[in-house]
Amino acid sequence: MSGFALERLVPAHVRAFEAYVPSPPDDVLRRRFGVAHLHRLNNNENPLGPPAASRAVMARWEVGQAAQYPQGDGWHLRRAIAGRFGLDAEQVILGNGANEVIAFVIKAFCEQGDNIVTADRTFAVYEWLASFSGVTPRLVPLRADGFDDAALLRAIDARTRVVFLCNPNNPTGSWWDHAKLARFLDAVAGRAIVVVDEAYAEYAEEPGFPDSFALMARHPNLVVYRTFSKMWGLAGLRIGWMAAAPAVAATVRKTSISYSVNLLALDAAREAVWDEAHIAATRAHVREMRAGLAALAGRLGLGMIGAIGNFAMLRLPIPDTVAHRRLMARGVMARAMTSFRYPGWLRVSFGSAPAMAAFAEALEAVLAEG
Amino acid sequence: MLLPPGPGFAAVGAEFIRGVAAATGIAPRLGDRLALIAEEVLAASPPSAGQVSLALRDRRHALRLELGFATADVDLAGLDQARRQDGEDTADVGLYLAARLADRLTTEPGVQGGLLLGFDLARAYPARVAEAPPQALGPVHGVPLEPDDATLALLVDWAEASGAGGPVFRTAARVLDQRAAGELAALVALDARRRPLGGLFWQPFGRRLMALSGPALLLPEGAGRAALATGLLDAALGRLARGSIQGLVVLEAAPDMPAEAFEVVGHLPDAAGGQHPVLFRALEEDPGGIAWVPAALRPWVTEQVRRLGLGRDIEEPPPPARATGAAMAAETDRAAGRVTLRPLLAAADAAAVAAGNVALFRGQGFSQFRAVLDLGRPEHAAFAEGLVQAGLAPAALIPDAAGDLLLLAATGTSR
Ligand SMILES: Cc1ncc(COP(=O)(O)O)c(C=O)c1O
Repeated sequence: MSGFALERLVPAHVRAFEAYVPSPPDDVLRRRFGVAHLHRLNNNENPLGPPAASRAVMARWEVGQAAQYPQGDGWHLRRAIAGRFGLDAEQVILGNGANEVIAFVIKAFCEQGDNIVTADRTFAVYEWLASFSGVTPRLVPLRADGFDDAALLRAIDARTRVVFLCNPNNPTGSWWDHAKLARFLDAVAGRAIVVVDEAYAEYAEEPGFPDSFALMARHPNLVVYRTFSKMWGLAGLRIGWMAAAPAVAATVRKTSISYSVNLLALDAAREAVWDEAHIAATRAHVREMRAGLAALAGRLGLGMIGAIGNFAMLRLPIPDTVAHRRLMARGVMARAMTSFRYPGWLRVSFGSAPAMAAFAEALEAVLAEG
Repeated sequence: MLLPPGPGFAAVGAEFIRGVAAATGIAPRLGDRLALIAEEVLAASPPSAGQVSLALRDRRHALRLELGFATADVDLAGLDQARRQDGEDTADVGLYLAARLADRLTTEPGVQGGLLLGFDLARAYPARVAEAPPQALGPVHGVPLEPDDATLALLVDWAEASGAGGPVFRTAARVLDQRAAGELAALVALDARRRPLGGLFWQPFGRRLMALSGPALLLPEGAGRAALATGLLDAALGRLARGSIQGLVVLEAAPDMPAEAFEVVGHLPDAAGGQHPVLFRALEEDPGGIAWVPAALRPWVTEQVRRLGLGRDIEEPPPPARATGAAMAAETDRAAGRVTLRPLLAAADAAAVAAGNVALFRGQGFSQFRAVLDLGRPEHAAFAEGLVQAGLAPAALIPDAAGDLLLLAATGTSR
């Protein structure tokens, strides 16, 4: 015991970092907020759940298999994904959620004192992972609620290793089209890795949405993230992936963790690739819920933003953190946006129709309280 | 510098502090006060305290003498200013005197489980007449930013001359020193000529909160004042998001603070006999938590938890394990006649100690009393009963899922 001085062993950037504390489990939340049921509209999950084929493979799953390790790098799934997008299997790397793939990329390209460039109001994990790795996050303000290409380019310097774009952006739903992304890649001109996080790409119905895999051929510094958590309804199994040009993928493979994706996730995801009927049904649901939310926003006089994705943001006349609590007390979980640097905004996932109805009723009551 | 506890080395410690003060150009009068404090504390430290560390820090706007004990298990009873009344032990008088010599006494956990006593002597700033802001300021240009020293000083001068922003926006030299010492952060909005139009300050309040002051607005009535205030606040929220800070507290809101961005979490009595709202703005979602609430306060806290829509398991705290030796830390503000008490060490005699503290300071002419209990810490509850007996009443519940802060308050006239 005597010689142990924890402080001495902890790097300054870890000491300075505040640990992320996830929300407690729903049963604890229900008890604390005194509600019998909680509608989850805070994590952008798919209320339709996984596609039929994934459900079937899980239902048939022989539980004895849990004793065995999965194959170490998702051999079959990588081939299925590669086949779908015209890639080579070696270009695809799996992770325990896209979150883990973010870590692989930062580990592969950044050392202490380097920086990453991203937006100030986007998914937090790029910023967090950089910070506790001793890498400076350079945060560029959004412009009109979207990634600002010119400002991002200005922020790139000699120590920039990775630029993180979120397309469509969580939480604003704003997006760059193919031409804009191509122009941006031209302008970066290989000075940094450009990650395009397409966690919500399967929700894009717009014809101009980028075909990033096609851009990869011309831009070997492009890395694309996808996840099975959103469209594919497998968030609980934790599986995501990235694709990159072969040399970049080979580099990231060095810092990736083999065996980190579990058996069930690999099997369920493989069956999901690429169920167009599931995509169509989910998109139809999102369209309907989006229209309903827009109507609610109109009725309550609230601003609403969000173009692509299974979520949208509402501008409230009261603090979002207060609305969050009061909604919890009415059995609805939505995301308070102060922590995304959008004070006064609430992000709502397009959940099931009953959940959206419960949200509408609860929000109306909360706002009536003033 | 490390010294053994007890009277034997007290004079050595005093000389050391006096020497350091002289070498760093501190006025002899202040140096003597600091040396005397060091002497008294060392002399009163029991042998069980182990080595005592001494350090003198220049906080710029204050000089701070820190005495560190390696263990938190020191018998701190002597430090507790209320014990002076018992007169039971001469050593106690030493600590009592030391506390009286400082403008501010704070007690906090040391880095490695020990205990740190901080004695602050405020620096005096020469009085000067602040220059008035020019007539044709504005409009706002760009987003609020952290001002350089000259701009910050100008903002404070203009705020002082026009009576804007409240007491924190006074004495530019002090504000600069506070910021340089890392104890104050500022955001300022500028016009196209880079002149300050308004500002917002924040300072640490407990471990996880910041106390917000202002805004000080220099634009005339109308002229986008409301938008300026909202812009400053949104910028501050953006700065503090995704860090360790859970929320912002406003103990005394300036009239221009955008009230709709806050919730009212209670009311504090003011010296004039009225009361003003305590405002709060959470930065993070509150996932619920445990509140350890003493029986005497349960109805009030339960009502607030319900009113604020907090998800709380309200639990009855277990009685303290120690039988005697409870102590409270006092933070005194002599100018405002205010004392703020915080639990330091819980024991079964906590209620009596709490009541004794209030009585003592009331006897010394302090008129405003506040106490802060952390409801995330079951041992704090033991002090509540004594505080209530002494005339303090629950005034505000500041939400923090990891430990709500219960603010109790009384004015001298309330009893
Ligand atoms: C933009 C974005 N990227 C990545 C993720 C994380 O995905 P995963 O569940 O695969 O870790 C999310 C989840 O919210 C997201 O919104």
